[in-house]
Amino acid sequence: MKLFRKKPKKNKKVSQLLDQSKQISSMKELMEYCKESNDFVHYEHPIKNQSLWLSYYKPLVEAEILHRDILENVDEETIHSLQDLMESIPIENVVITKDIGVIHEKLLSGHIMIRFHERDTKCVLVNAPLKKTRSISVPEVEFSVIGPKESFVESIGTNLNLIRYRLPIPELKVKEFTVGNLSKSKVAVLYVDGITNQENVNTVIQRIEDIEFDELIDSSYITQIISDNPRSLFPQLLDTERPDRAVSVLAEGKIVILVNGSPHALIAPANLTEFFAAFEDYFLNPIIASAFRIIRFFSVVFSILVTPIYVAVLTYHYELVPKDLMGTLITSREVVPLPPILEAVFLELTIELLREAGARLPTKVGQTIGIVGGIVIGTASVEAGLTSNVLLIIVALAALASFTTPVYKMGNTIRLIRFPFLLFAYLLGFLGVVLSFCFLLAHLLRLTSLGRPFLEPIYPPRLKDMKDSVIRFPFSWNTKRPIQLQTEKTQRFSAKKARKRKDIDE
Amino acid sequence: MGKHVPDYFKISPFLTFFLITAVQVGVGILSFQSIIVEPAGYDAWISIIIASIGVHILIFMMYKILNQEEHKDIFDIQTMLFGKWIGKSLGVITCVYFLLMSFVALRLYIEIIQVWMFPQISLLVVGTVFLLLVLYIINGGFKVIAGICFLGVVIPLYLILTLIFPLEFAYYDNLKPVLNHSVIELLLSAQKMTLSYLGFSTLFVYYPFLKEPKKTQKFAHFGVAFTTFLYVSTAIVSFLFYDEEQIKTVIWPTLGIWKIIEMPFVERFEYIGISSWTLVILPNITLTLWASSRGMKRMFNVNQRKTLIVYAIIIITVMLTVRGFDNIDKISELVTRFGFYYVFVYIPVLCIIHFIFQKVRESK
Repeated sequence: MKLFRKKPKKNKKVSQLLDQSKQISSMKELMEYCKESNDFVHYEHPIKNQSLWLSYYKPLVEAEILHRDILENVDEETIHSLQDLMESIPIENVVITKDIGVIHEKLLSGHIMIRFHERDTKCVLVNAPLKKTRSISVPEVEFSVIGPKESFVESIGTNLNLIRYRLPIPELKVKEFTVGNLSKSKVAVLYVDGITNQENVNTVIQRIEDIEFDELIDSSYITQIISDNPRSLFPQLLDTERPDRAVSVLAEGKIVILVNGSPHALIAPANLTEFFAAFEDYFLNPIIASAFRIIRFFSVVFSILVTPIYVAVLTYHYELVPKDLMGTLITSREVVPLPPILEAVFLELTIELLREAGARLPTKVGQTIGIVGGIVIGTASVEAGLTSNVLLIIVALAALASFTTPVYKMGNTIRLIRFPFLLFAYLLGFLGVVLSFCFLLAHLLRLTSLGRPFLEPIYPPRLKDMKDSVIRFPFSWNTKRPIQLQTEKTQRFSAKKARKRKDIDE
Repeated sequence: MGKHVPDYFKISPFLTFFLITAVQVGVGILSFQSIIVEPAGYDAWISIIIASIGVHILIFMMYKILNQEEHKDIFDIQTMLFGKWIGKSLGVITCVYFLLMSFVALRLYIEIIQVWMFPQISLLVVGTVFLLLVLYIINGGFKVIAGICFLGVVIPLYLILTLIFPLEFAYYDNLKPVLNHSVIELLLSAQKMTLSYLGFSTLFVYYPFLKEPKKTQKFAHFGVAFTTFLYVSTAIVSFLFYDEEQIKTVIWPTLGIWKIIEMPFVERFEYIGISSWTLVILPNITLTLWASSRGMKRMFNVNQRKTLIVYAIIIITVMLTVRGFDNIDKISELVTRFGFYYVFVYIPVLCIIHFIFQKVRESK
């Protein structure tokens, strides 16, 4: 049906304002409208035998470009027409137009309008944008001890530069869109032509084009809007602040989405195992990296299940604790008047409080809060008989384990899904834990990322993709791109050459 | 009707293995030993293999029929062979059979939970939670169901390790002498054993959902072989562990084995075992319930989601009205007996009729 729906034609001759009934149709109106804002500059600039009218938004324009490149060059020439003016300015993309819509739009994106007379309708538009962004810094969220130390910044231009100079091939395509009817945010979709599945690219582009939103601040807005299941707790697009990671997934055949103003790139399609793979894994020996990945996987399972199991065992199934261990548990819990569930919820909430407080406070204070709060509250609550030592250890370990997840958003998810598990463990014991685990599995099975299964390569089981999931095989083994991505060119490099073994002493 | 299943919803051929195994292994494996020991004594493990051969032949027949009719399931085939009225009545019977199967699987599992873990547990609560889970899975489509079947086989595989523990107390002479029972006794045992293999007839329904369906036959056979392996190993370990007279009095021999497992941090393993069994039961309920609702959709063009809600309400109501272990046993007995005739009589007959139909169609 969408094919037949006509897109509303944009009348470029006028400038449409937010209030749909108002529009600006003449230069005079435009100037009056712009002058209502005090940061709009509009003045006459005398040159030898005539004068130029300059108009621009002051905060958007780089004064140096105006003075050094534009006015300097204009002064010396004898100029008779806008054409002469255009030719004399050594800046690319200078436009001559009398289209009010275009003029207004360009003024708002850092162009300077130059005319000969104040009442002229035709003008020259010169691009002189002021860009104030912070310089490239070390990645903080996805820090790695070895490997590149660059991270994305808030400017899409810089970010594109970071990616393109690592991938200097003409096949790297960038599709730009403007999203948000107030923010007019630039969104770029990057992919490698000839590798990336065209269907995936079309899906992303279509979903971005369909976004109806006013103020698009960050790439995480896009995650929430274009995810296959926006209500799911699990992030279905991977975000990264590392240009090296973005480039490596582009080479794998994935799509990267950049948003102006956001230091995080989005990667799609993603699967569950990627959220537990730190990019540093690729800088380490495959055996070491695999060992760490396995530890991370187990810590996630541990983090989700251990407190619920404690609650289930102590509420219903104390028979299955061996005698010797029972002694320890009894001594530890003797003075605790609360049932296991309250004990566990109390401690879990304390940990969440500490984490939240630590995250909201300035770094220096945050660290102190974490240490002081952890030690003081922990010890005090044990001494006061509110919780048992054993549970304190368990909860602390579970919290620690949840922080091993390399992706921040996934860490949050894992900490949160522990609470329904706790509740079910309290209601139905072990059966409750397994039932909630089944709900989790069913949910993960149902999730998709750009229509590709989220649980891949676990389900649908694809042994070939297992080579870089829980265990990372050596580079020479990963000669094919992941099947999940359905790439157009599956071979990464020649397997024969990479794995050729020389004979002894050859 | 007559619409082909789009490729997007189809699953890889080798997943047939998991679909077959997942639906065959269920509550039965916890209790089958005492039933098959009745006629054939400790030679009953041979009967398991005999029954398995029977199932292999049936699967072969099912593929004989299905491979001829591409993109068709049992409901289309029945209407094609017997006409609209008889075909649809047979279809409804099939649907009811699948529905009852899922009910029995769920109810027997809850029975075990009641006996072994929570005597006071509310049927309404557990039943509702289970059915919510099942509906959530089925609403995800057949791919998700196949996923649960896959995980329902792979994750509980660790339970095989629990068969090592009782070997400490094994009495290997239990199995000797081999073959001291008559063929009739072995066959009787095998007949009782077939009940534990039921459920594979869902293949009739999900066949159109398989990619390159003709290639899936070997995986289906592997699936049955794997089920047989699980049953035989469980049976042999329990035969070594229990005395022959004793095992006849035990209702759930496998659970009895779990009771003796001791690890430094865990005793009374049956709590963990029974809870993990949820993952084994889930594919049973899900696949049969899906098959039943799918049948309704194919024949009467009703909304599958709505059918499922109706089914869930029926299951809960029946569960709450039929009380007492004897009554549940009667229903389960009825379903398994019907299942036996369904697979061992109806499928061969269907195969023959289809063969004749095929010949007639060709000669025209």
